[in-house]
Amino acid sequence: MIRADVVKMYKDVHTWVGILSGLALFIAFYAGAITMFEGPLKQWASPPSDLPAPVPLERSAELVEKTIAAHPEAAGGYTLHIETDAANPARMSWLVWPEGRSRGAPNETWFSALDANGELVVAQDGSTPVAQFIDVLHQQVGLPLDHELAMLIMGAVSLLYFVALVSGVIVFLPGVAKDLFALRIGRNLKRMWLDVHNVLGVFSLPFHIIMALTALVFAFHDQIYDLQNEITYDGQIAQMFEAGEPVHHVDIDPARDFLELPDLLARLDAQVPQFSIQQIQYMVRPGNEAEVMARGIDDRYGHRGPDFGMAAINPYTGDIMSRTYLPGQQPASSAVLTSFFALHFGNFGGVPVRWGYFFLGLAGAFLFYSGNLLWIESRRKKARKSSPDPVQPLKTKVLGALTVGISLGCIAGISLTLSAAKFLPGRVQDLELWHSLIYYGVFIAAIGWAFLRGTARSAVELQWAAAVATLSIPLVSVLSVLVPGLGWTHPGQSWLVEITAVAGAGLLFFTAHRTRRRIRQAPEDSIWWAGPARSSAVTESAHHVAAE
Amino acid sequence: MSDRPFRYSSRNWFGKASAGLILGFVIAIALSGVWAWAGPGGLMASSIKTQLNMWMVPPIWALILSLCFFFRSGVRAWAWLGLAAVICAGALYVAKFLVGGLT
Repeated sequence: MIRADVVKMYKDVHTWVGILSGLALFIAFYAGAITMFEGPLKQWASPPSDLPAPVPLERSAELVEKTIAAHPEAAGGYTLHIETDAANPARMSWLVWPEGRSRGAPNETWFSALDANGELVVAQDGSTPVAQFIDVLHQQVGLPLDHELAMLIMGAVSLLYFVALVSGVIVFLPGVAKDLFALRIGRNLKRMWLDVHNVLGVFSLPFHIIMALTALVFAFHDQIYDLQNEITYDGQIAQMFEAGEPVHHVDIDPARDFLELPDLLARLDAQVPQFSIQQIQYMVRPGNEAEVMARGIDDRYGHRGPDFGMAAINPYTGDIMSRTYLPGQQPASSAVLTSFFALHFGNFGGVPVRWGYFFLGLAGAFLFYSGNLLWIESRRKKARKSSPDPVQPLKTKVLGALTVGISLGCIAGISLTLSAAKFLPGRVQDLELWHSLIYYGVFIAAIGWAFLRGTARSAVELQWAAAVATLSIPLVSVLSVLVPGLGWTHPGQSWLVEITAVAGAGLLFFTAHRTRRRIRQAPEDSIWWAGPARSSAVTESAHHVAAE
Repeated sequence: MSDRPFRYSSRNWFGKASAGLILGFVIAIALSGVWAWAGPGGLMASSIKTQLNMWMVPPIWALILSLCFFFRSGVRAWAWLGLAAVICAGALYVAKFLVGGLT
């Protein structure tokens, strides 16, 4: 049995690390849940392309030749898309780095196609970067800072998050038999919230442990590698990264052409029939070497990339050169490593697992929202011991407003910036900037509103606002069908984005309604107290003075 | 010695947490180094092992930070984790010496 004083100590630890990290984690989890469908969202946010239809696979070599002749910068690296869709509307694409190539530097994606006369047509990628914007929100826990700096903060948050998990388990253990399956729905709302917090926390614990540890690695891997190289490896890390790796490049032979795409695909299909190839990436180095990667998926296994695995291939023969990151074909140690990534990205098992991760992510976000509000409410119980008629102290008011403003502001901001994706292209120049302005504008306004109106009232109003913002997503799609020139819908699109948004908005309307009921019944010292019925500012402040 | 049994409290959190944060990281780096040199395949085993060496660090670090509150005081946390850190660093030195000859 765990001693009571240990439980009490870890309860304090849980509270403080929870409060310090909870709101950042809310954003990371909510945005992360949406990122589970980054691929479909990219397509949803891609305007119809003006390019001619993608050239057939047989004419890829001709397309590559003509593209490189007209745009020599493509020679160093280009991609052939086996699967083309709204987000990848052409057979060939390449990256242009206007400020020079480096990690994190701005780059543009260009596509090329051939018209009916075989003439080259190129176009810059016109899709809105909204899905990527949400992904960056997820990675940087919502902070619009330099990536390196944001990652350090994200790492600190992950560390606190892991401590919150361990301490939460220690606090929960003594009551585990009693409370595990208890969900006391009833008059004691705080008890019910605590039960939900515990049930969610315990049953999604493996998911959370994975997320905390992988996020910690994603945040600090560069620093750890550098330090290990310095202290442990005596500067040999570069050789260690190449050690035992199969050769994954070929020397360029000027006398031979790369294998034609249909032949290459046939060779790959013979070697790995279940690996569904999305694209082939050609990297041609100045030293006359070529490194060619086939990117694709095999839903039966986990993947090293967020939504793809890779095989290094020989472009002359189509032989697979390295299976280190090829799903289901990896050596055991490599499969272990890949599993860490796959467990974070939820990219094993296809669409059902993605939906599972989506809901686990939303449940995680709710865990942090409920954790903060539970702490505030338990302050009330403590305060009542010392004073017969307690009022909310300033710090619980601040934390309450921050919790409501940040959480609901994040939901509303993401929804609005998503629906703007169908409105912005062609109307503004810098799409990324506009997505950012819309998100942070809504986010900051929501936090301001929460402080202005107080936790209880703003919780209701901001849930309404978030619901309306989320409804704007299907609204824009419907308007796109009805109003010519506004937005677009892709032929044969599934409407799942819209259906999910309607369901989310419905849930927010429902919880807004329930919160409104709750604040009418809440006692005055509760965070849910919204002031006396039909209050005016004067009577409210008079009430406060009387209470003090 | 006092008759009252020792009772844990969160009051002396700073000493414990700083020990867990700093020495936990030192221990994690040192242990990953011992594994890198003396574990299967040694230093040049594979690119994957090099990556797994890095992956070892955060779980060890986070676990030490999470459990360091079980020390009775900050001083004890620094003393015990400091001792552990010295032992782990020594083990890394020995592993480097035995396997690599400390070139």
